[in-house]
Amino acid sequence: MKLDTSGLESAAPVWGAPSELVDGFSAAPSFEVPNTTDFDGFQKEAIQMVKPAKGTTTLAFIFKEGAMVAADSRASMGGYISSQSVKKIIEINPYMLGTMAGGAADCQFWHRNLGIKCRLHELANKRRISVTGASKLLANILYSYRGMGLSVGTMIAGWDETGPGLYYVDSEGGRLKGMRFSVGSGSPYAYGVLDNGYRYDMSVEEAAELARRAIYHATFRDGASGGVASVYYVGPNGWKKISGDDVGELHYKYYPVLPSTVEQEMVEAAAA
Amino acid sequence: MQIFEYNGSALVAMVGKNCFAIASDRRLGVQLQTIATDFQRISKIHDRLFLGLSGLATDAQTLYQRLVFRHKLYQLREERDMKPETFANLVSAILYEKRFGPYFCQPVIAGLGDEDKPFICTMDSIGAKELAKDFVVAGTASESLYGACESMFKEDMEPEELFETVSQALLSSVDRDCLSGWGGHVYVVTPTEVKERILKGRMD
Repeated sequence: MKLDTSGLESAAPVWGAPSELVDGFSAAPSFEVPNTTDFDGFQKEAIQMVKPAKGTTTLAFIFKEGAMVAADSRASMGGYISSQSVKKIIEINPYMLGTMAGGAADCQFWHRNLGIKCRLHELANKRRISVTGASKLLANILYSYRGMGLSVGTMIAGWDETGPGLYYVDSEGGRLKGMRFSVGSGSPYAYGVLDNGYRYDMSVEEAAELARRAIYHATFRDGASGGVASVYYVGPNGWKKISGDDVGELHYKYYPVLPSTVEQEMVEAAAA
Repeated sequence: MQIFEYNGSALVAMVGKNCFAIASDRRLGVQLQTIATDFQRISKIHDRLFLGLSGLATDAQTLYQRLVFRHKLYQLREERDMKPETFANLVSAILYEKRFGPYFCQPVIAGLGDEDKPFICTMDSIGAKELAKDFVVAGTASESLYGACESMFKEDMEPEELFETVSQALLSSVDRDCLSGWGGHVYVVTPTEVKERILKGRMD
């Protein structure tokens, strides 16, 4: 069993060897498997060891002008904050974005793999892949690894011929089309703000402010989210990064500290 | 998650020149969810003795009530306030009473003893005292706090410099902990006054 390198091989078929591309269906991707006496037990242990708790907040929604994608930037290992500056919005290609929730390595690898497959599709079919197609490619790959401990909770947002598209794809093999999604431990808090403030006909600035606010509120309430709130806009000309605000400063911008009246006057110190 | 990390907390006490500072974070959470951002973890026992309790919040509240009760009885009988060393012994004894079903708390005690000499100590949840001459820490951010205090501490700091040091150590440590932070609360105590200050910190 070998690593899936179909993205790296050249398209020209080698004489005598059947090419994966010629077949129409690619062979099931495969990874090497360790030699152990108790394979199931070993797998369980490995999954528990690698299983991160999707401590993050990401969201994406579609509105009149396109799609908005936003995320925090904190990485946590249990209670310890390992980084406050993780890039959780992955640029698959100039008109498609993916969000990262779950295992960082898993998300980074499979998003890059998806970008390769999208480019190959472009070259083979002389047109860009649709968001529907791209999300289906990723969902099928993740489904084939179902139960093996991958942890991926991602949203694919992009702009294709039919307009803006948004899909939620996860490592359990689920794939959902929708207008609003939020993924991660901070998602309940983000949904509260997002659902309350959402209107289909918003301007780009209003939508960006809604996304930023939703991420900020999630970082306030959720211990595993924080750092920087990044907001990206996906329009007919591709994606553009709108802002990256430190949520520590956002808090004092939304709720400035006002000088308050003294609650307790100083008392004379008791004689020693 | 473990019981000591259920609510999340950060506590630090530091000794200066004839003064001490005791500081805590302000978050009360239920695992990852933040419930309150104005939770009081440090309480005054008397003008020259402060107690901070980290760990499970319900045990911290109950333990605090029991200790105030015992101190008030002491005041009635002895007609004076308890010395910090005596209070530390009292806390240790009360915690060991519950040796086989402990309070899930780690106290930090800070006070001015005889001749205004600052006294600080911390304990584990069953009463093992740890006396220190420079600083003591407790809570979910304790490992970060140890590192920060160790590098920032200097002997014989004046109250203003002590306040700055404690604040920086606390804020930089809780910024590396998911379960504590959301502001800071610092008390700087000298023989003549108690200064209470609230720190503006990252609210994430």
